Amino acid sequence: MHPEITRIQAMLEGQGYVADQTLATSVYLAIQLRKPLLIEGAAGVGKTEVAKVMARALDTDLIRLQCYEGLDATTSLYEWNYQRQLLHIRLQEHSDIPLEVREREIFSEPFLLKRPLLAAITHGRAPVLLIDECDRADEEWEAFLLEVLSDWQVTIPEIGTIKARHVPYVVLTSNRTRELGDALRRRCLYLWIDYPMFDKELAIVRRKVPAINDRLAEQIAAFMQFVRKTKLDKTPGIAETLDWSAALIALHHDHLDEDAVAQTLGVLFKQRDDAERVRTQWLDHLLGNVAALDREPRPWTQDAIDRVAGQASSPRR
Amino acid sequence: MSAPRLYGDLTSHVVAFCRRLRLHGLPVGPREAADALRALGAVDVGDRRECYLALRTVLTSRRDDLAVFDRVFEEFWNPPQPEGDYGPQGPRPPEAGGDGAQPPPALVEWLDEALQAQGDEPLPAYSPIEVLSQKDFSTFTAEELREVTALVIAIARRVATRLSRRTRAAQRSARVDLRRTIRHSLRRGGEIIELAYRRRKIQRVRVVLLADVSGSMDLYSRFLIQFIYALQHALGRVETMVFSTSLTRITEAMSEDDLRQALDEVARRVPDWSGGTKIGASLRTFLDRYGAQLLTPRTVVLVISDGWDTGDIDLLEQAMAELRRRAGRVIWLNPLLGSPGYEPICQGMRAALPYVDVFASAHNLDSLRQLEKHLAARRR
Repeated sequence: MHPEITRIQAMLEGQGYVADQTLATSVYLAIQLRKPLLIEGAAGVGKTEVAKVMARALDTDLIRLQCYEGLDATTSLYEWNYQRQLLHIRLQEHSDIPLEVREREIFSEPFLLKRPLLAAITHGRAPVLLIDECDRADEEWEAFLLEVLSDWQVTIPEIGTIKARHVPYVVLTSNRTRELGDALRRRCLYLWIDYPMFDKELAIVRRKVPAINDRLAEQIAAFMQFVRKTKLDKTPGIAETLDWSAALIALHHDHLDEDAVAQTLGVLFKQRDDAERVRTQWLDHLLGNVAALDREPRPWTQDAIDRVAGQASSPRR
Repeated sequence: MSAPRLYGDLTSHVVAFCRRLRLHGLPVGPREAADALRALGAVDVGDRRECYLALRTVLTSRRDDLAVFDRVFEEFWNPPQPEGDYGPQGPRPPEAGGDGAQPPPALVEWLDEALQAQGDEPLPAYSPIEVLSQKDFSTFTAEELREVTALVIAIARRVATRLSRRTRAAQRSARVDLRRTIRHSLRRGGEIIELAYRRRKIQRVRVVLLADVSGSMDLYSRFLIQFIYALQHALGRVETMVFSTSLTRITEAMSEDDLRQALDEVARRVPDWSGGTKIGASLRTFLDRYGAQLLTPRTVVLVISDGWDTGDIDLLEQAMAELRRRAGRVIWLNPLLGSPGYEPICQGMRAALPYVDVFASAHNLDSLRQLEKHLAARRR
C-alpha cells in the first residue's frame, strides 16, 4: 500500500475511526487531487464522522453546513447583520454624513455575517468543509453549490468578488432521499459506505465501548448482521449498534437473551412498527441464529454468519 | 497491472478503460480520465487493489455505477485466460459496434416508426383530430401514426404546463425579506414602515412513472413511451422506469435531447422488452432500490400496465400496499379499460386495485388529456 494511504488509515484509526483501505484511499485522493468527496450510504454508517476525523487528522478546522429543504444562499453563504445595521443607522441619524456614504458603510465587511460557505472560503488555512445531507437541499441550491465548488469565489453585490484564499477540503454526504444531479456528482470523487461486515463492526464496538466483554461484543455484532438481513423500514446503523451496546451494559447484561433484547428494542429500532415486527416475528429467529452461531468455532467469520443465516428456517409470520 | 510498465502505455490503457466505462453508461469524460491519471500518479501503481480503489473513487459517481465498474474493470484488466496466467494483460481490442447488445426486435421496429413520425413535414391540415382522439391506439394504421405521435407529445407538454401552473397558485405564501426591508428603511432614517416580502419556493410535484413494456402491452407502449418522453422533458422532475420481468431505470436514457437517441439508449438498457410480466417483483425492486430516494408524500406514482401478471400475486399485493403507504398518490393507467365491457378480472389487476387512488384508462388521446386532472389532485 502507498505509505501515505497507510498513514491516513493509521491516523483515522488513531482518531477512533475504524477505516478500511477503500475509505482511506478515497480520503487520500480527496486530499491529493483536492476534489470534493461525495459519500453516500444508509443512515448511521459513519459518513459525517469521516469529515470530522479528516479535519482532526489534517489538524485543521471543520466547518459544517447542515442542509435542509429550503436552504438558500442567505443561510449558507452570507447574511447582513440587520440588528447591527439598524443600530448604526439610528446612531448616525443626525449626522451630516451623506446618505450614500452611510449606505456604503453599513454594507461593508464588519456588518457581514459569514455563513459556512463564505467562512470556508475566507478561512485562514484550508479547512474541511462538511456539507451534510446535501440530498435534503433543493435542486436550485445544488446548482448554486456547484457554482461555488467550481469557482471558489463568491460575489456579494455590495462588496465585490471574494476569492478563496485556500481551497477547502470538501466532504459531501447524502442519504439518497433525493437523487443528486449528475453535474454535482461528476465534480466529486465518490465513496459508497455500506453497513459494516462482522469484523469491522466488532472492532468498532470494542473500540467505542471499551467496557464491553468479548462474548457480548461478538453476539451484538453478529446479531446486527442478522438484523440487517431482515426487511425493516429503517435498518439500524452503527450509531444504533453503539447505543444498544451501551444500553445493554447499563442494564448489566453480559450476554444476549430474550429478556435483554426485549428490554432494549427501543434503542435499536427507532420506528415503532419495526420494533413491533421484530418483537412479534423475528426475535426467536434472530436469537436462534445467534445460538446456532454460538456452536461454531471461534473466532466467528462473516462466512459462518452467512452460512447460519442461510440454514435457519424462516421466521413465523 | 502488477508489473511496472511504461507510463505512456498506462496512459493509453487508462484512456481506453475510460472509454469502455463510458460505453457501459458511466458518466466518464475527458476530465474524469485526466483525474484518473492524476489519481494513479498519486498511488502505488504496482498495487492492483490500490489502483482499483483509486480508479473506482474517481470514475464512479453513484452506487449503481459500482457493479458496472467492477465488471468492466475485471474484463478489461484481467480478461479470462485459457492458461492459468493472471499477469497483466493489455486491453482487448474494442468490439465492433460498441457493446454488441442488440436492441430487442420489437423496439427496433418502432424506432424506425418513431423516426418516420419525427419527420419535418407539417401535420396535414385536414387531419380529423376528433376522430383520432377517440380511436384506440391499437387500431391505428401506419398513416395515422405520424400525426398521432405529434399529438401525443403536444398533450404531454400541455399536461406538464398546466400541472406546474396549478401547483404554483396553490402554494402562494410570503415571508419577510429583511435585506430589502432594511434598504427601504434607510430612506426613512431607519424607520421600518413597509415590509418587503419574498415568495416561498414552489414545491413541485414529483412524478414517478412505472411503465409495463411486456409483450401484452406492445400495441400501447410505443405511444406511451413517447408520451413519457415528452412528459419527462416538459416536467423536469420525472423518474421513469420500465418493467416486464425485471425493472430498469431509464430516466437518464430518456433525457437525451433527441427522441431517437433516447429510444436507442432505452433499447440498449432494457434487456427484456416485450418479455413476460412480473409486476409484483418489479414493484418490489422499485421499492427496495429507489423507494427511499423517490417516495415522499409529494410523489405521484403512475403505473402504466394492463395488470396481466404472470408472477407471484401475493408479492404484487404486498408491494402495492407499501407503495400506497409511502407515495402521495398512486395512479394506475390501464389501456384495456377503454375496451367496451372490460372488467378488471385478471388476478393481478384485482389484487392491485384496492391500493390505487385513481384507476383510469390510457388507450387513446382523450384519456391522456385527462391525466392532468389526476396528477394535480390530492388524495382525499
